[in-house]
Amino acid sequence: MPTYKAPLRDLQFVYKELFDATSLQALPGFEEVDTDLTDTILEEAGRFCETVLQPLNQSGDEEGCHFNNGAVTTPKGFKAAYQAFCENGWGAVTADPTYGGQGLPKTIGMMVEEMICSANMSFGMYPGLTEGAYNALAKFGTDELKTTYLPKMVTGEWSGTMCLTEPHCGTDLGLVRTKAEPQSNGAYKVTGTKIFISAGEQDLTDNIIHLVLARTPDAPAGIKGISLFIVPKYLVNADGSVGAANGVSCGSIEHKMGIKASATCVINFDAAEGYLVGTLNKGMQAMFQMMNTARLGVGIQGLGLSEVSYQNAVAYARDRLQGRALKAPFQPDKPADPLFVHPDVRRMLLTMRAYTEGNRALAIWVARKLDESNRATDPKQKQSADDFVALMTPIVKAFMTDCATDVTNLGVQIYGGHGFIREWGMEQFVRDARITQIYEGTNGIQALDLVGRKMAQNTGRLLRPFFHEVSEYLEQKSADSSDELQVMIGGLMKAFGRLQQATGFIAQQGLKDPDEAAAAATDYLRLFALVALGYLWLRMAEIALAKQGEGEAEFYQAKLDTAQFYFARLLPQTGALLSAILSGSQTLMQFNHEAF
Amino acid sequence: MDIRKVAVIGAGVMGAGIAAHIANAQIPVVLLDIVPKEASNRNIVAETAVEKLLKADPAPLMSSRNAKHITTGNIEDHMSLLADCDWIIEAVIERLDIKQSLYQKINAVRRVDAIVSSNTSTIPLQDLVAGLPDSFAEYFLITHFFNPPRYMRLLEVTGGAKTKPEVIDTISRFADVRLGKGVVPCKDTPGFIANRIGIYWIQTAILEAINLGLTVEEADAVGSKPMGIPKTGVFGLSDLVGIDLMPHLMESMKRTLAPEDVFHAKAIIPDFIHAMIKDGYTGRKGKGGFYRINRAGGQKVKESLNLKTGDYAPSVEARLDSLKESKAGLAALVVYPDRGGQYAWKVLSQVLSYAASLVPTIADQIPAVDEAMRLGYNWKYGPFELIDQLGAKRFAERLQAEGLPVPALVTQAAQVGSFYRVQEGQLEYLNTNGTYQPLPRAAGVVLLSDIKLRSKPVLRNGSASVWDIGDGVLCLEFTSKMNSMDPQIMEMIGKTIALVKRSYKALVVYNEGSNFSVGANIGLLLFGANIATWDQIEALIKSGQDTYKALKYAPFPVVGAPAGMALGGGCEILLHCDAIQAHAETYMGLVEVGVGVVPGWGGCKEMLTRWVTNPKRPGGPIPPVAKTFEMISTATVAKSAQEAQELLFLRPTDKITMNRDRLLADAKAQALAMVEGYQAPTPVELSLPGKTAKVALTMAVTDFRKMGKATPHDEVVSLQLAEVLSGGDTDITETVSEDELLELEREAFMTLIRHPDTLARVEHMLDTGKPLRN
Repeated sequence: MPTYKAPLRDLQFVYKELFDATSLQALPGFEEVDTDLTDTILEEAGRFCETVLQPLNQSGDEEGCHFNNGAVTTPKGFKAAYQAFCENGWGAVTADPTYGGQGLPKTIGMMVEEMICSANMSFGMYPGLTEGAYNALAKFGTDELKTTYLPKMVTGEWSGTMCLTEPHCGTDLGLVRTKAEPQSNGAYKVTGTKIFISAGEQDLTDNIIHLVLARTPDAPAGIKGISLFIVPKYLVNADGSVGAANGVSCGSIEHKMGIKASATCVINFDAAEGYLVGTLNKGMQAMFQMMNTARLGVGIQGLGLSEVSYQNAVAYARDRLQGRALKAPFQPDKPADPLFVHPDVRRMLLTMRAYTEGNRALAIWVARKLDESNRATDPKQKQSADDFVALMTPIVKAFMTDCATDVTNLGVQIYGGHGFIREWGMEQFVRDARITQIYEGTNGIQALDLVGRKMAQNTGRLLRPFFHEVSEYLEQKSADSSDELQVMIGGLMKAFGRLQQATGFIAQQGLKDPDEAAAAATDYLRLFALVALGYLWLRMAEIALAKQGEGEAEFYQAKLDTAQFYFARLLPQTGALLSAILSGSQTLMQFNHEAF
Repeated sequence: MDIRKVAVIGAGVMGAGIAAHIANAQIPVVLLDIVPKEASNRNIVAETAVEKLLKADPAPLMSSRNAKHITTGNIEDHMSLLADCDWIIEAVIERLDIKQSLYQKINAVRRVDAIVSSNTSTIPLQDLVAGLPDSFAEYFLITHFFNPPRYMRLLEVTGGAKTKPEVIDTISRFADVRLGKGVVPCKDTPGFIANRIGIYWIQTAILEAINLGLTVEEADAVGSKPMGIPKTGVFGLSDLVGIDLMPHLMESMKRTLAPEDVFHAKAIIPDFIHAMIKDGYTGRKGKGGFYRINRAGGQKVKESLNLKTGDYAPSVEARLDSLKESKAGLAALVVYPDRGGQYAWKVLSQVLSYAASLVPTIADQIPAVDEAMRLGYNWKYGPFELIDQLGAKRFAERLQAEGLPVPALVTQAAQVGSFYRVQEGQLEYLNTNGTYQPLPRAAGVVLLSDIKLRSKPVLRNGSASVWDIGDGVLCLEFTSKMNSMDPQIMEMIGKTIALVKRSYKALVVYNEGSNFSVGANIGLLLFGANIATWDQIEALIKSGQDTYKALKYAPFPVVGAPAGMALGGGCEILLHCDAIQAHAETYMGLVEVGVGVVPGWGGCKEMLTRWVTNPKRPGGPIPPVAKTFEMISTATVAKSAQEAQELLFLRPTDKITMNRDRLLADAKAQALAMVEGYQAPTPVELSLPGKTAKVALTMAVTDFRKMGKATPHDEVVSLQLAEVLSGGDTDITETVSEDELLELEREAFMTLIRHPDTLARVEHMLDTGKPLRN
């Protein structure tokens, strides 16, 4: 059975040493958030994840959710764990104190989320969806809606969902058919069927607050006629208590490849009373608000799964004795050497580690900018942070989940045949990871968002914070640095140059022919992410070098070594990606579709 | 006969504007008007008119210096001033009795061969000369200018039965060459060509918008770009010219047009428009019109009139599917079933049919009608060109299908295919006799568009083409978006230099876009800066400098021939040409500071050289530096070629062409004249004051900043400019080479392009077309 230990030291390294924790504290509202408080929260969250959530992960997967006559039952132990989760306030970490939240930075929220996802991703879906619904409602809801719903969502008494997909439309939401008929009291009657609704029905909370995309009778066709509504499972009485049932029912639950303990539901709305959120026909804007945070959250899910898979792969590689080191036995007194002596096993372990730690740095970097974008008072700082988050959101979502599938598969591989056996738990990570590449906008859609929307916006302004930061860093460091760093600086310069070249190429080609930009999108997103990780690894290596001899030698040496591995073994992929990008769309588009 | 002196009688808006434009041609002009009752200054009317000319915007004068060519006076004391005038233009009130008595007075003083013309638009010529001797009528014609005379190119010309042909020739030639007019000969019919069709169009467009229930935004969105009509559309145009003008024009047309003319059916002013005029809602000059800017509440909100309720509401962008469809062409627009498509068809079918029914009544042949609408109403295409776009055959068939009369000319064109065609590289029009004839061009008119029909470019890439314009001269044409300067143009200049060296004699840099070039492609620059490709940006600057320098020192004459705006990088290329043949309406400026940078393609270097080496400059090393600094740091744009000459954007030896259509031929002639014994210019070295000038300029900038006249980033940019123009680390005892100045430009540019406030300026310019004052 897999184990999990919260990676507190590495989290601390990133948020305290890589990024300056005091600048986070300088943002208005975060004055109290010092490193002591952050350490304490992370320790507590880690303990909760290790002791309460992780033990339910494998059993939840084995048991799955139960559907009986419209009612959904979560696996054994989930209800109690959810109770404990709420009592400890883990659903309220980043929520607004006005509604009972703790008002902590998103940076902390995301670090906690990573641990939850490592321990039990399925469980994390329930509060995760509530947070998404909370964000949309807090941003776009009327005061009345907010005071009615938000406090109970923050305590976890009520949960939330996002109802977008319908049987005939997923990616293309302009096709949504669910109807919302205006009523004389200002409310709407919502009718239609939504599918793939995570946490759409469960036995954990007293009420479920659905956020539903629907169209009013005279709305314009397509995406410009979609509005967002809040539809509670039970109507709420004037005194705030839960009232009558509201025409919302669960038709069935899906049988899935992974995240089996997360109930994925068909939800039927039958003239259910709903209330408009935001402006009529501007539902997609509100939805994007929710989805952008959700997309970062999905990236974090990938990170969490990568981390737990790596931890167990390392444990196995230490314990499992198999074969001998090629040059000389490592443990001559034992019948065989541990797995980690083999170069190819080390390749797999280091690949897992380099992506996972690199992605953690990336996630926290973006989370930091998200806090700046929410809180900064200087308009230029805010604009730059906004731009950075908008640019990096599709990269975090797609790259970190692509990595999750690769990393968890390597985890299975290290276990050999046992990796394929359910009991060992490694294959569950692969199955759980697979959905993260698909939902909240497939990774293909993320890549299109990057090249089609984010790159072009304001003649490339969104690119500026990233490109300028990396370029300035390289200029500064190439002047004076140690030899050890110079090699990596050279590597990053080369990779950064490739990214610049690819960016210019796609921008120019895309103006002439949108197919050109689309054909390059996925390779470009990966190239971009690899360069971003390269930059972060270089900075982490710089810190590790500087701290040599200050204790924790093993930790810092491992950082430096992982960085060197990343530069030698992973970053060079950028060369191949650039070649693929520069080849253009021709080989994709010339193929006769009938020959497929 | 040459026209050496002109008189204009009547100093109203038109008369004064005509006088100003004659002064623009450097021709002495007498401007007379009446003596008001009990006036102490008997010349007050004409004098006031000249004062107004100096203040008006857009300026009727190409340079305030031109006012000295205008002699003012009054018709009681100064008629003798007409004695030596070659052309006397009457532009007084539209009253026959007043005009006739004035003609008697003129006739008494004019030289026997002096030409007299009237600017009337409503009184038939035969009535004007009735009772006057034949000796007067022989020298009399109508010259109908459009307002404002400096900017509107159309001049409708018509003579009477007695007018001598050479009189018409003399005035036409003078108006064409010296005044730059597009002279359109027409018949003496009410409203001549442009107003006859134009007013019919305005009325039809307004009435059909009301009939079909379009909003004014929708009507103007359909009735503008999709039809090649200026972006104001018909409602915007009415606001601009004054809603109260329409009933006046229409009344005179109604009086004089035959009763069966379909014009009468459109000569209806809806009651609500009468009410608007009565209440002072006459357009931009009044309380508002079909649009207005509502300043209540401290903000400027553009509002539109609801044609049904008569109330104003904030303007909303027209959203009609037909507007999207119109991108596929006019033919697609008129068959689109929504109200936009219906409206387009309703308006076009009536207006184009009306125009087609008027040839040869108002003009002998169709090109005159198209030219009049293009030059007088700024339509991109004339009515017959529009019918060709719709397809003459389809147009005729649809008229017929809808039971509408099909004009004979349209039937004829439908049978042979179109009103215009290109045959073996020659543009031809359909004569009223049913045969195609070559479209005539006046002697001395060479259009690149004609050359392009009959030949292929010698060189071409995505941003530029090179054409052989004969006699060993090549023409470099920019073809990039808005003629913006980009790496491909630089590459093409390099190739062109090599080609001319090898096989040609001279080069002309010219194009027929609405602007010569508005500068470098700053979108490319901004994207490059956003992704920090500094090396590439520096290479782009360097390559521009090298290319322009190579052009300057090429072993053959290079003549720049700008028209319209020549800004930033578009101005810099001209500064590197050996000579300029500029259209009079050329607007040059080094406006780089508007996007937070300094001129980097040799603009600083060339302007500085011109002011330092200017023989008329004030003494001392600092004034020329300060003058250059002032021009560049305030992004000064010359508002005419003449002003450009005053600011040294043009040299005293550079030449000006008044008529846009003659620019290429004049430029080519100038280039050829330089070929014999041509020698490339000698590089100059400048003695510049260095630090002392920099300190002085810095202090000035800081003062401006303190006075609030300069923004914080203005100061940053200005200091970099001061560094370049003072010559960097030098002093007056040393000399600075061109290459050293170019290096200073490059360094300043590269420093500024990394500045976030510069990038904010570039982005703002791209988004809004206006400079950001950060």
